[in-house]
Amino acid sequence: MAITSRHRHSEPVWMRSLFIGASVVFVGLLILLPVISVFTEAFRKGVAFYITSISDPLAMSALRLTVVTAAVTLAANLIFGLAASWLIAKFSFRGRNVLLSLIDLPFAVSPVISGLVFVLLFGAQGWFGGPLANHGIQVIFATPGVILATIFVTFPFIARELIPLMQEQGAEEEEAAVLLGASGWQTFRRVTLPNIRWALVYGVVLANARAMGEFGAVSVVSGHIRGRTNTLPLHVEILYNEYNFSAAFAVASLLALLALVTLVAKAALEWRIRVEERPAVMDGVMEEVA
Amino acid sequence: MSIDARHVSKSFANYVALRDVALHVGQGELVALLGPSGSGKTTLLRIIAGLDTPDPNPETSVNVDGQDILDRSASERRVGFVFQHYALFRHMTVFENIAFGLRVRPRKLRPREPELRGKVNELLELIQLGRWSHHYPSQLSGGQRQRVALARALAIEPSVLLLDEPFGALDAKVRQELRRWLRTLHAKIAVTSVLVTHDQEEALEVADRIVIMNQGSIEQTGTPDEVFHNPASEFVVTFLGNVNLFHGRGEGSGQAPRLFVRPHELDIERFPSNSDSVTARIQRIQSAGPIVRVELTSDQIDSITVEMTHERYRELTLKTGETVFVKVREAKIFAAAR
Repeated sequence: MAITSRHRHSEPVWMRSLFIGASVVFVGLLILLPVISVFTEAFRKGVAFYITSISDPLAMSALRLTVVTAAVTLAANLIFGLAASWLIAKFSFRGRNVLLSLIDLPFAVSPVISGLVFVLLFGAQGWFGGPLANHGIQVIFATPGVILATIFVTFPFIARELIPLMQEQGAEEEEAAVLLGASGWQTFRRVTLPNIRWALVYGVVLANARAMGEFGAVSVVSGHIRGRTNTLPLHVEILYNEYNFSAAFAVASLLALLALVTLVAKAALEWRIRVEERPAVMDGVMEEVA
Repeated sequence: MSIDARHVSKSFANYVALRDVALHVGQGELVALLGPSGSGKTTLLRIIAGLDTPDPNPETSVNVDGQDILDRSASERRVGFVFQHYALFRHMTVFENIAFGLRVRPRKLRPREPELRGKVNELLELIQLGRWSHHYPSQLSGGQRQRVALARALAIEPSVLLLDEPFGALDAKVRQELRRWLRTLHAKIAVTSVLVTHDQEEALEVADRIVIMNQGSIEQTGTPDEVFHNPASEFVVTFLGNVNLFHGRGEGSGQAPRLFVRPHELDIERFPSNSDSVTARIQRIQSAGPIVRVELTSDQIDSITVEMTHERYRELTLKTGETVFVKVREAKIFAAAR
């Protein structure tokens, strides 16, 4: 039984070439070329200069802050995202739609505004800034502010990935597990989590990419203190503004590499999902129906 | 084990699902809860399972084997539950689906691996899916999936088995086969079972007893024979299959009685044998099948359906468009119209 699902193309050759050519040029100009230029600019003054630039203590501290921020952000959003999606998908309650809209809020608001909101809340003149400062806690122009702003900006990624899937799957499998005697934790670990694991990892990958690259919100709350509150994107901007182009591109290439790792991870995941969800080969064993 | 539910009510935000319902299911019995959608039958099943809670009322009780289970959680009740859409764990094989209830037991009660394998294989044998044990639910047909769901529910040796429209998502032929299979299975293992369905044919065929529900209340309880031949209300008679409605002659100033007549309780005549016969025109004759179904219209009644044997049909030599007389051989009259 060999039925090919691929339908034949009837468009003329010139039309196909035109569309393919246009896409290639577009992707090349707007995506590939910038990436290549980042790396060529980074190595313009040679490998030695490149290594000096990225091993500069200020660059290393920016890298450290970026990685720490991304890690804390992901952990926080993993918990919040799971909890919110679970609530929204498996229960109906008053205010459910309000919660849904709130989750989308960070997507709708400009990152700079989100940064400013945190300054208003936690800054020296802000609502909580004074009381917190009395206890020796500084949020704005310090690492907590950077992390808070990043969490805010990346909050929707995981929840938005999970909610449609969990809604589609419904609550019946969980009900079945509970009726078979499973505890709440057993139900979550053995039924809920395996069913959403790929969407969850996918959401984490997207949130990670954004957390590492976030500029606007972080720029407002960080205060650009070198070696202390600069993340990689902020550090790149400072170097660039100081006409230190090669160093700026060298540090940018670090960021690009992080992004590439993320993309490879995502592609690998997509491949695994496709393998796992490939429709089962029946080999004509369906004769035994019912 | 027997089920005994008393004074069960349940209201949701904008409607009442159950009004003070009582249900008794004897040891080893298979009872069908039959009713249209919205009649409360699934809610009652979910309350027994612990997936829903009844409205608080000190008189409400749900006993299984004489013990009130209302304050036990769903996971402590040890009921087997079969869902309409199977609810199999999609990321587990057939084997692991069936083994789930044994694997999640507290360590002390959990069977050892060889014992567990023996038990699951026994169940696979029972549902005749031994060679499918390493397949995933997505690789099975609907009928096979529902058999796996049943085996999974039986693996925990449930005190009672609850089936929520178990054949609702299957096509007609598979549904028939699976119904028979369930009947034989139940005869073999005799676990106290409650089956929810909106299909009267299914209830009549499978159940020992039928509980007919409408708008949150029980209309009638009885064996299939009892409810079919002695329906307690207009609702029951109309719900349990096709029925013709005739308006009799009112005596004095009283309301005209309503006569409910099943298609096989009518006869067609060439000449009126008494004054009660109704003149009607034949609209359609459907003679493909074990019986012949004739559809007619008369001045008072839009649609009359008569069912007769092929013999009788040949004897009458009926044709579409002819005018004939319809005679009522037997009818049900209910005192108070609801």
